[in-house]
Amino acid sequence: MNSLMYDTYTIFWRELKRYKKSRSGVLIRLIQPAIWIVVIGNTFSGTQPLIQSVGFDGSYIEFMAPGVIILTAIFTSIFGGVNTLWDRRYGFMNKALTSPISRSSIALGKMSAISLISALQSSLIIGIALAIGVTFPNPFMIAPIMLIVILFSMGFSGISVVVAATAKSQETFWGVINFLGMPLFMLSPALFPLELLPNWLATIAKLNPVTYTVLLVREMMTGVSEGGISAILCIGVIIVFVLVMIGLASYVFTREVNKPF
Amino acid sequence: MHSIEIRSLIKSFGAVNAVNDISLDIDSGEIFGFLGPNGAGKSTTIMILTTLLKSTSGSALVSGFNVSTQAKQVRQSIGYVQQESTVDEYLTGRENLILQARLNHIPKSEMNARIDEILELIELTDKQHDSVVTYSGGMRKRLDIAGGLLHHPKILFLDEPTVGLDIQTRRKIWEYIKKIHVEFDMTIFLTTHYMEEADQLCDRIGIIDHGKIQVIDTPENMKSAMGNEVISLKFENGNSDEFLSLLHKINFIKKINVENNKLTIFTSNGTEVIPKIFQISSELEIKIISISLTRPTLDDVFISYTGHEIRDEDTKFNKKREHAKMKRLRA
Repeated sequence: MNSLMYDTYTIFWRELKRYKKSRSGVLIRLIQPAIWIVVIGNTFSGTQPLIQSVGFDGSYIEFMAPGVIILTAIFTSIFGGVNTLWDRRYGFMNKALTSPISRSSIALGKMSAISLISALQSSLIIGIALAIGVTFPNPFMIAPIMLIVILFSMGFSGISVVVAATAKSQETFWGVINFLGMPLFMLSPALFPLELLPNWLATIAKLNPVTYTVLLVREMMTGVSEGGISAILCIGVIIVFVLVMIGLASYVFTREVNKPF
Repeated sequence: MHSIEIRSLIKSFGAVNAVNDISLDIDSGEIFGFLGPNGAGKSTTIMILTTLLKSTSGSALVSGFNVSTQAKQVRQSIGYVQQESTVDEYLTGRENLILQARLNHIPKSEMNARIDEILELIELTDKQHDSVVTYSGGMRKRLDIAGGLLHHPKILFLDEPTVGLDIQTRRKIWEYIKKIHVEFDMTIFLTTHYMEEADQLCDRIGIIDHGKIQVIDTPENMKSAMGNEVISLKFENGNSDEFLSLLHKINFIKKINVENNKLTIFTSNGTEVIPKIFQISSELEIKIISISLTRPTLDDVFISYTGHEIRDEDTKFNKKREHAKMKRLRA
């Protein structure tokens, strides 16, 4: 157990070093969510009466800002596993696999690094939100929100690592990831209240872990809960999701990397 | 004691046996060279020995541990330097070694001293804080080799250590390999398709082709078994079968390779053999176009066992093709 932690940290350390050296990417990856929050936030500002009808008293941007924070977390973490493919192609993976570290620690180290990076990116989006006038009723909520983002990203990076370990090519990886990422975001109340979604859509949304994360973060930011889904339930769903993904990612990763690439 | 013991090792991909019944003992402290054309089974063998691939049947002991049942112990006793550079470009040289040290569970208390020691050895102390991006190909290779040595493994696997490097750098790498062999007293298992490299470095050489070991011996023995001279000869017209059978009757000739109208004759006393060849050819009315007498190189040895020149210098491309082939076979 101790050595699993040590090895996980080794990989985590390496991934963060690599991230730090690729700083130009940080800002580029912020452009898209920034466009979302500015453009979509203002495009739908007319829906304020609808938003208010389900109990929110702020502007539409304030309503959807948590959604964009989660959007950032989704895409940062679901793309994050792609370097697994490079590692296999360029031999780092074989180097790690012929050293005494455990296979799962490679997956877990990558996931931990991705989720921290994801939280960093999301915190920058919070900064943008604050800059364009979104207010926090309780600024002390930022730290716990970051914690939720880290947890949630850990689960999503698990998806990324599973797909990357299974895919043999970049094309397959990006195909599957794009197929998964956008729908998971859209099928959630990130942009529109759960209560106002058509029934069938709301039902699907309730099967999506993104939904619970959005609801929880939104409640933490605005103080308003939705659709009778309690914060406790949300936290429970997120924790189960993360545990399942950690288990699945370790298992699939270990199985796949033992096959020749 | 044997450092590596391979018994009846077979690895098949579908119907093809990439490694076809290999048995081999490598002594402790030996530098053993695995020589063969691309696709001969070198890399597959090394991947089995380093626990990256499971064999189909047969067994292999590395440092006394079974590669399929004691993979973890095997991994603790080996260093593996791959053909491609595997250092992280955006990390500094030292950071790469720290990563390697952590991967191999080198205790924190020893880590810095070992890294300093190895940087000294490969003469990268001055550049240790530069990103690897700024390193030349030779420097990267040295860093790669250093990474494989850091945990003082009992056995070091070097897969094509000098592929793609210029002559000067190649010689420099050879010097490092000789130096570390003495300094760390380790067994070194290397694959190469450069005859000169095997000749320079190895105590023994195994030539592998089509998944089988064709011959194992010291470079010296291999060359002398070929006779100490090589006659290359081109001819036209005439009955080549009769020509060959008469040539074989010449005392000094040990072996003749035929390739269309080209003969490579391994012999001793070449200066006496040449007039005899002319005598036979004029009797048979065979016209000799060219003839030369040289000392045998390992290339000649290689060709005499594998029957063809080394295939495809372009390894990257070929490796890709091999992978594609393996994939298809597995599907």
